[in-house]
Amino acid sequence: MTADPYAAAVGLVERSAAAYASSVPEHPADDGFFGPGSVTWKLGADLSGPVGGLRSLMIQALHPLAMAGVDQHSHWRTDPAGRLAATYAYVTTVSFGDRAAAEQVSARVRRVHEHVRGVDTVTGQPYAASDPALLLWVHAALVDSTLVAARLFGTPPTAAEADQYVAEMVVAAELVGVPAAMVPASTARLDDYMASVRPRLQCTQAARESMAYLLDQAGLDEDIGEIWRYVRDGAVASLPDWARQLYGYADPGPLTGARRTEIRQALGVMDTVYLGEPGVLEARQRLALRTRAARGA
Amino acid sequence: MKRSTLAALVIGGAAGFVVMRRGLHSRRVVSRPGGLRLHRGLAAIQLVLRGGARYAGSAPRLFTAAGENRQRLRNDLALQTAEDVASTLGAMKGVLMKLGQMASYVDEGLPPEVRRTLGRLQDSVPPMSAELAAGVIEEEFGQPPDQLFARWDPEPIAAASIGQVHRAITHDGRAVAVKVQYPGIAETIEADLGNVALLRRMLRIIAPGQDVDALLAELRERIAEELDYEREAENQRLFAAFYDGHPTIGVPKIVDELSTQRVVTSDLADGTRFAELTGWSRHEQDLAAETIYRFVFRSLYELRAFNGDPHPGNYLFHGGGRVTFLDFGLVKHFSPDELLPLMNMARFLCVENDPDAFRRSLEDAGFLRPGAPLDTELIVDHLAVFYDTIRRPGELTITGDYASRVVRRFFDVRSPIAPYVQVPRSYVILQRINLGVFALLGELTATADWRAIAEEIWPFVQAPPSTPMGEAEAGWLAGRPHRAETAA
Repeated sequence: MTADPYAAAVGLVERSAAAYASSVPEHPADDGFFGPGSVTWKLGADLSGPVGGLRSLMIQALHPLAMAGVDQHSHWRTDPAGRLAATYAYVTTVSFGDRAAAEQVSARVRRVHEHVRGVDTVTGQPYAASDPALLLWVHAALVDSTLVAARLFGTPPTAAEADQYVAEMVVAAELVGVPAAMVPASTARLDDYMASVRPRLQCTQAARESMAYLLDQAGLDEDIGEIWRYVRDGAVASLPDWARQLYGYADPGPLTGARRTEIRQALGVMDTVYLGEPGVLEARQRLALRTRAARGA
Repeated sequence: MKRSTLAALVIGGAAGFVVMRRGLHSRRVVSRPGGLRLHRGLAAIQLVLRGGARYAGSAPRLFTAAGENRQRLRNDLALQTAEDVASTLGAMKGVLMKLGQMASYVDEGLPPEVRRTLGRLQDSVPPMSAELAAGVIEEEFGQPPDQLFARWDPEPIAAASIGQVHRAITHDGRAVAVKVQYPGIAETIEADLGNVALLRRMLRIIAPGQDVDALLAELRERIAEELDYEREAENQRLFAAFYDGHPTIGVPKIVDELSTQRVVTSDLADGTRFAELTGWSRHEQDLAAETIYRFVFRSLYELRAFNGDPHPGNYLFHGGGRVTFLDFGLVKHFSPDELLPLMNMARFLCVENDPDAFRRSLEDAGFLRPGAPLDTELIVDHLAVFYDTIRRPGELTITGDYASRVVRRFFDVRSPIAPYVQVPRSYVILQRINLGVFALLGELTATADWRAIAEEIWPFVQAPPSTPMGEAEAGWLAGRPHRAETAA
């Protein structure tokens, strides 16, 4: 790659794993906002997670104001791994933490967002990260991507489970300051919402650069980079046509069963690497035991 | 880097001694004065009187004892459905776990984070729930285990490769160990083994600098075999029949009518685990090591088979040198053509002192590129270390110090012979087994006259017994029906 404006994503796996391990409490005060038996917990353990996460970033970045906020205010370019790990820590704490922990991290995010405001140089529009409309976009992209990725590469949720997941996640949007009435609570509403925002989406230079960086992962060891490419291909293949066209990616063609299997296998390898990080296995076991206890009760 | 660490490992292991010790302690090689003759004579008589490897007690006693030695398994996290199995061991994870098990015997060569990751993966696999295991039994035999057996313990006593072991008593009163395979695992792993491109990437990460294609081909074959319990039963029958009546080597017999592709049933054995062996007397530990040594090399030279998994959990110790060998899921069979060069390497280097012939054997087997511009003396210099313990007679202790020296030699990429050495595919697996076996011997800091024992076993020497165990074994050998053709 030529002069890269981004620092290498050093320690992304390690930092994400540490965030995950500490977000799953050893002695939870309560079941948090989701709890054992929730679809959120189930999807949170799905193999397709990395594809869902990457797709979510790709969709989110297409909103010029959301992208401008990240580009102008965060350490995204100098410490991309730190920025990603921080977001991941927030998501996992809200998902698996008890209520106090989830409220605490959400309050912190709201405080940080207070200072993130400015003018987008591409559209000339002012933006504020605390704007519920922007927050909703980020929320919806994550929820949508998690479902799409699980359908393609993970354990596909049933239609009822998918609806339940969208409904469960309303509270996550509320926690960062989106009024519940604005938040889609079913997959049909979610689809409508995504379609309604589409006219405002575009691929700005910041979005293009950010995604080129994420997809290439220039700093990775060659063999690990090869495995990452499966995840990248999975994320690109999972994009809706309009998003792929905005980015100008070539149509990867239909996702064959064989290709899906390959991507799943690579995801299994990545999951194994993740599992090797301190605390990850124990955190998963804590969640599994709570889920079993709830099922048995 | 064409030359692989495997190369040297294999060469050393094939006929010489590869020693590895994972511990930090290093002990010096100590030569001890000759053993206590009188004591030895008594031991030989005892071994003969005991008349073969019948260590079993009554079925109920065995059944109970096997339960006491139960491994601690995470039953609270037990897999309850075939879907649980798929999400735990599918998507390459089962394959990675097997690779990890195999690679763990070369742990000096693994990057620490890879070793940690693969170790964690093994920890992450819980046992099957009682219902799931019973379901496999029912699918295989048409009736649930509590009907198929007179007594069945629904809780597993041990984790096995891609399965688990239950204890049971048959309707005719035999105490048995029943190994049950995870449902769906064979299909999953077979599908994952088809992704050669990804496997090649992973091997490059797991085993950097090694001949990935040779490793891959051999590992795919071995894993596929390990999934087939019928094949395992076949191998165990072969070993059990061969060692039938042996004074110190025991192999549990297969119960044919209770074994299928996903279930293998054999006699239940009980004994002391490897971890507790270090608390035994020096003499007892040496006897145990001698039995393991005899088993490995007699199997190689006479059965032309290298038995699989030198995991410490696959041995049970009974005192007096008697050892029960478990788990024949990974057995490598050699053709006479594959075995001959290995034998010749040892023969020409250690017995006939013919360096040129030694070199030709290396070339014949494909270890050394023919016509390499190297002095034969240099080759011998670099490879002889692997035969140190059998080049000269006399008692010798296999130590961690010697082990590290050998390992350092393998990993010395600056060695002048490195560019010309490689591992032919059919010998790749030898290294894993050898390292495991000699890691155990190193762990015991075992002492014996290894050369003298080797001479008893080498078909080209066939020396008389050199130890009490050798004498006991000679009685067994003499009593065996028509053996001659196996020593081809």
